[in-house]
Amino acid sequence: MEAILDKKNLNDWIAALDGWDAYAPALEDGVWSYRPASANAALAHPNTVQPPKGFAFPQREIFFRFEQIKGEAPRLTPVQPEPGRRVVFGVRPCDGRAVPRMDRVFADHVDDGYYRARRKDLAYVGLACHKPQSRHCFCKSVGGSPVSTEGLDVLLTDLGERYFALAVTDVGKALMQAGGALFAKAGASERKAVEQAHAAAVAQPQRGVADAAAAPAALKAGFDSPLWEELAQGCIGCGICTFLCPTCHCFDINDEVTGAAPLKGQRVRTWDTCQFPDFTMHSSGHNPRDTLGSRLRQRVSHKFRYFHENFGMLQCTGCGRCVSQCPVGIDIVQVVNRVAGSI
Amino acid sequence: MIDLGALHTQVRDILETGEVRAVVGWRRGSRGMLAEPVTIATPEEAETLVWDPTCFHNLSLTLVEERKKPSWRPGKPIAVVAKGCDARSLTVLMQENCFRRDEVYVIGVSCAGSGVLDERKLAQRLPGVEPDSAAFDGDAFVCATAGGEDRIPARELMADRCLECRDAHPKLNNVVFGEAQPRAFDPPFAALARFEQEQVGVAERWQFWQRQFERCIRCFACRSVCPMCYCEECVVDSINMAVGADTTAAEKANRIRWIERSASRADNIGYHMTRALHLAGRCIDCAECERVCPVNIPLRLLNNKLEREARVAFGYEPGASIDLPALVASFRDDDPNHFIR
Ligand code: SF4
Ligand code: SF4
Ligand code: SF4
Repeated sequence: MEAILDKKNLNDWIAALDGWDAYAPALEDGVWSYRPASANAALAHPNTVQPPKGFAFPQREIFFRFEQIKGEAPRLTPVQPEPGRRVVFGVRPCDGRAVPRMDRVFADHVDDGYYRARRKDLAYVGLACHKPQSRHCFCKSVGGSPVSTEGLDVLLTDLGERYFALAVTDVGKALMQAGGALFAKAGASERKAVEQAHAAAVAQPQRGVADAAAAPAALKAGFDSPLWEELAQGCIGCGICTFLCPTCHCFDINDEVTGAAPLKGQRVRTWDTCQFPDFTMHSSGHNPRDTLGSRLRQRVSHKFRYFHENFGMLQCTGCGRCVSQCPVGIDIVQVVNRVAGSI
Repeated sequence: MIDLGALHTQVRDILETGEVRAVVGWRRGSRGMLAEPVTIATPEEAETLVWDPTCFHNLSLTLVEERKKPSWRPGKPIAVVAKGCDARSLTVLMQENCFRRDEVYVIGVSCAGSGVLDERKLAQRLPGVEPDSAAFDGDAFVCATAGGEDRIPARELMADRCLECRDAHPKLNNVVFGEAQPRAFDPPFAALARFEQEQVGVAERWQFWQRQFERCIRCFACRSVCPMCYCEECVVDSINMAVGADTTAAEKANRIRWIERSASRADNIGYHMTRALHLAGRCIDCAECERVCPVNIPLRLLNNKLEREARVAFGYEPGASIDLPALVASFRDDDPNHFIR
């Protein structure tokens, strides 16, 4: 299904989505992030600092609460994800491509009930990029495209005063149908315009990973390369590159005690990262991944090798966040190119 | 202005003569215009070092990290290129006995009259454009972009901490490049004073900070980048004790968790209050924590507030001299607070 939406009708469309809570990028305190859509949402944003991954996989979620009165059996109260359908507007194609990658991990590979419960009620309305959002974008070199529909339910393309809307899934079709007369039929001239816009977007120059297809094997061969430590020299071991990555999904589970008599608290899942030293710390105190180089190798190899070995696809979608947000400019493109190029 | 050629010669000389075992400085990175920290050990690499308004990083952090490695051995000094603020942090580290004076060779670079730029201000000034390089020409930052050159007055682009710099000329140094000039910009604590004018009431301020801390993602970049946050164990880590082979299971299970590691507002506030208090009289306003925060939390305000408290209450200036004791280790007969005397 293809149709045309006047930009001035965007908010009416959002309002017409009965039963859906809508979210869109907004600039607050100098940070672009997904917020509940305001009545005058406009999709004129660079990519958000945080990807939309938290909608299906929040940074902090409670699994259950526990309480134990001395001498009695412990009582567990499960906590279910908050119900309700949510639609996220303005998702860039790189972040769209992260969605099936997260699905592989949490819904295909294992069945994570918490993830599934959120994911089944989520829809993504994407927005094609006419030009790279930053000089650090490299989606094309990792199999993506600035106009990719992968992982999205609807793809919007900006045609000046109007959007060209393409339904990618049945959910997307239903979302567009809910807009009713707000959408006009797409004619041949609009089809032509969107084709041209897409071709121009794809033709925009980008930096990139030199040979993504060869990367998994090359990184395997380069496992013991001294380059890992050299390239990690400036790394401060923070959580930025992984927490902001749309496809990083490691987590930790902790019991957070909130009271002692009676003993009570909650079991909480929280994002974790291979970049923190305690991520691999054994209870003996031994840490098999105790250098910054070995942690950089883990992060980059997961994106470009292990995920490929497990699921047949690269995990990195080339959004560039880990590059642009790194405090010291550790650059995954350069890391892959240097290590792979040294083989 | 810094004579980069002279700096290269100096670096080459001290590596050639073996006066130092390595030099920590900045080089061109692969991420756009930004410089990146680097440690070099051979005279041939001397010329890769750069100095420009993107040399944000406080390189005393590299020394602290080096010091923590099991491979650390006392020996010849390591040289580090240090701006005024970086030299003050080296001073604090020496006051706290992290290093002896003879373990560090300080190559001072004075930013008198200039300073580093603020990437957020730059992004606002040139939306959607990321320059290829940035230089300082005496009055303005010169940003080279695909479309030509943009000259932006220093005031508009300079990081707040540089506008308010306490001392741009590194007092602690073995050698120093650049002049000692008086600063032409703002007095210290100007941004803090602005904040206090805008957010007057306690309730208003509490609301402001709740909103800021709410969005903290606990990436700990602010802590990781801080040269003063050098503790081996931190109350916010899931393993917040030095675990060894003979630590018992009970000890591990009963470790104290003051602050949970998951990002909830209450725990985020606990983390930031703890960090701010632990930096009182130690933070020298390199403002690296604020720069690296991906969600733009104005951490500098917190640290400045406590720096000012220490100044007003105890007449204490962190990083002023290695011959003075650290604030919390000091006792003075002329202390302005009578209850201490
Ligand atoms: S690579 Fe950069 S963002 Fe990632 S842990 Fe290191 S310093 Fe932090
Ligand atoms: S690895 Fe970096 S560039 Fe790739 S998807 Fe993650 S954050 Fe984006
Ligand atoms: S750098 Fe910012 S987001 Fe990260 S822990 Fe510090 S305050 Fe929180």
